[in-house]
Amino acid sequence: MTLKEKINLKTLGIMGALFLAACVFPALTKNNYLISVGVVLFTYAALGTAWNIIGGYAGQTCWCLASFMAIGAYTSFILKIHFNLSPWLGIFAGMIVSAALSMIIGLVSFKQRNMFFSLMTIAFSEIIRVVLVYGKGITGGSNGIFITYKKDSLWQLTLKSDKIFFYIMLAVLAVVITISWAVEQTRLGYYLRSIRADQDAAESLGINSYRAKLKSFVISAMAASAIGTFYGFFLTYLDPTTVSSLNVSTKIGTMAIVGGLGHLFGPLIGAAVLIPMTEVANAVLGSSGSGMLLYGAVLLAVIIFKPGGIISFFQKDGRMKKNGRKTERRRAHGSDS
Amino acid sequence: MNVLWMIGQSILNGLTMGGIYALVGVGLTIIFGVMKVVNFAQGEYLVIGMYITLVLNQLTGLSPYLLLPPTILIAYLFGRISYGVVVKPLLGQPGQYFVVATMGLSFVIISVLQLVFTTNFWAVETSLKSVSITWKGFSLGLPRIIACGFMIFFVVLVDFFLKRTDFGRAMRATSENTEVAQSLGINTNKMYGFSFAVGTTFAAITGLLLSPIYFVYPTAGTPFKTIAMVIIVMGGPGNIGGAVASGLIAGLVEAFTATFVSNDLAPAAAYLLLIIVLAFKPAGLFGKGARVA
Repeated sequence: MTLKEKINLKTLGIMGALFLAACVFPALTKNNYLISVGVVLFTYAALGTAWNIIGGYAGQTCWCLASFMAIGAYTSFILKIHFNLSPWLGIFAGMIVSAALSMIIGLVSFKQRNMFFSLMTIAFSEIIRVVLVYGKGITGGSNGIFITYKKDSLWQLTLKSDKIFFYIMLAVLAVVITISWAVEQTRLGYYLRSIRADQDAAESLGINSYRAKLKSFVISAMAASAIGTFYGFFLTYLDPTTVSSLNVSTKIGTMAIVGGLGHLFGPLIGAAVLIPMTEVANAVLGSSGSGMLLYGAVLLAVIIFKPGGIISFFQKDGRMKKNGRKTERRRAHGSDS
Repeated sequence: MNVLWMIGQSILNGLTMGGIYALVGVGLTIIFGVMKVVNFAQGEYLVIGMYITLVLNQLTGLSPYLLLPPTILIAYLFGRISYGVVVKPLLGQPGQYFVVATMGLSFVIISVLQLVFTTNFWAVETSLKSVSITWKGFSLGLPRIIACGFMIFFVVLVDFFLKRTDFGRAMRATSENTEVAQSLGINTNKMYGFSFAVGTTFAAITGLLLSPIYFVYPTAGTPFKTIAMVIIVMGGPGNIGGAVASGLIAGLVEAFTATFVSNDLAPAAAYLLLIIVLAFKPAGLFGKGARVA
């Protein structure tokens, strides 16, 4: 199959149209609130897409992507504050740290199957949160750290207007979706999906599932870290609970699951539905608790009634359903965790 | 304050805290042993136990320890209902779905509790609350000692139930091999429902025992949830004795870190221990190697 055949023209057309619509959106509105919601939407869509690589294609439920986001954001914040290093360079430092840590977590936990990885990611995210609170001298502890605005500078990412962040985040989203697409189309993507369908069968065909999962996890972690840097500079303020908590990690996973697990555009659709919904819920009900209720309820409803996510409404073949039947037999054997 | 005293007091603190951890961990182990899934909402069932105790305590004015039977009953029913609503439709789906669903369930429980009881801190009043036993300078709160006593009682009870009763044997058979158990006429779905409800009831009992020690608030269960996960991984899947031992170890590690390193780092110590254990003994400290079923 050549590269040309792999690209679905129809999807490409729709995505192109959406991309253009997103590009002209800031010019049409003067409402800064809508633009900032747009930035948040792109951030979560991008994070969800990063999550989808490990959580969707590889089927390894990861609850620590927020920690990698926090690592990316904190690393570039600290480098900026103490060494006045541009976040465009700091982003790489964050990605290296994230890659190293995800490698350690992956090396340890992929020896066991799905459930253990999920547990490890929770343990890891707790460690990161505790360390962020503990390292008061550098991370500001639970008070957090912030970037002071001096003058508009794209190089230092200190920008007064959210419009530029809107475009930056849009570009980041496009890059992350491209990476996800590349993973999906290359050998790694086929490996991951075969492991997800049946790890024993995949291994018997000579696929090194350990290495494939590890690769996908490192890719996810590095992407989340890079997104975290931009998101951090958009927020200009970081503290352990807003960027590094389990709630944020769950929110990220929810985007992908609600949109469509293991589907390239699933997280984007999920974010496009959930982020505006959260804003409306917060505005109507007026408490931050309602947002959490929304995520929990939507997550439950989707996983019980429509495991394929929103995207499965548009797919004609009932592939997800058949998948479920197949695993029923496999689970009865108890071979999968 | 000399070092010896600090060590002794840390051991006492660690063991009593570890006993409480062990009880949540045993609940999770029962579910994991039979169903091969981890309940990511275990901490929230613990908080539900706390709130049941709180409400009953406010209504009747009785000591929380006397409220144990009604709390167990309500918690069991709640576990059974949530099994029917959330878990049962997911039987046969990939394990990942269960992870996601229980995570969603924990969100729902926390936010419903927030809406009903607000995020305020509530306290369960009992005359035993501030009593502590002192001996040669060491001191230990009575509620913690009682909690440990109940832990031992319930663990022995469960062990007896699993080994000596037909129902317990059926549960262990389901845990060993679902298909064979089915072919022998065991209703495995019934076993799943029962073990899920019992496992979550254990969390609720822990909540009751914790209510005189801690404040009651919606996210009170989060640290216990993560510790319980550490325990089942360290103790080896479905191993109740291993869960108790790991709970005690986790409590000790935490207490010593709090005393000798930093109070802030204490929660991270047990998680770090988990990573180290998994790196060198992937089957857990007390695991008998990889058992497929």
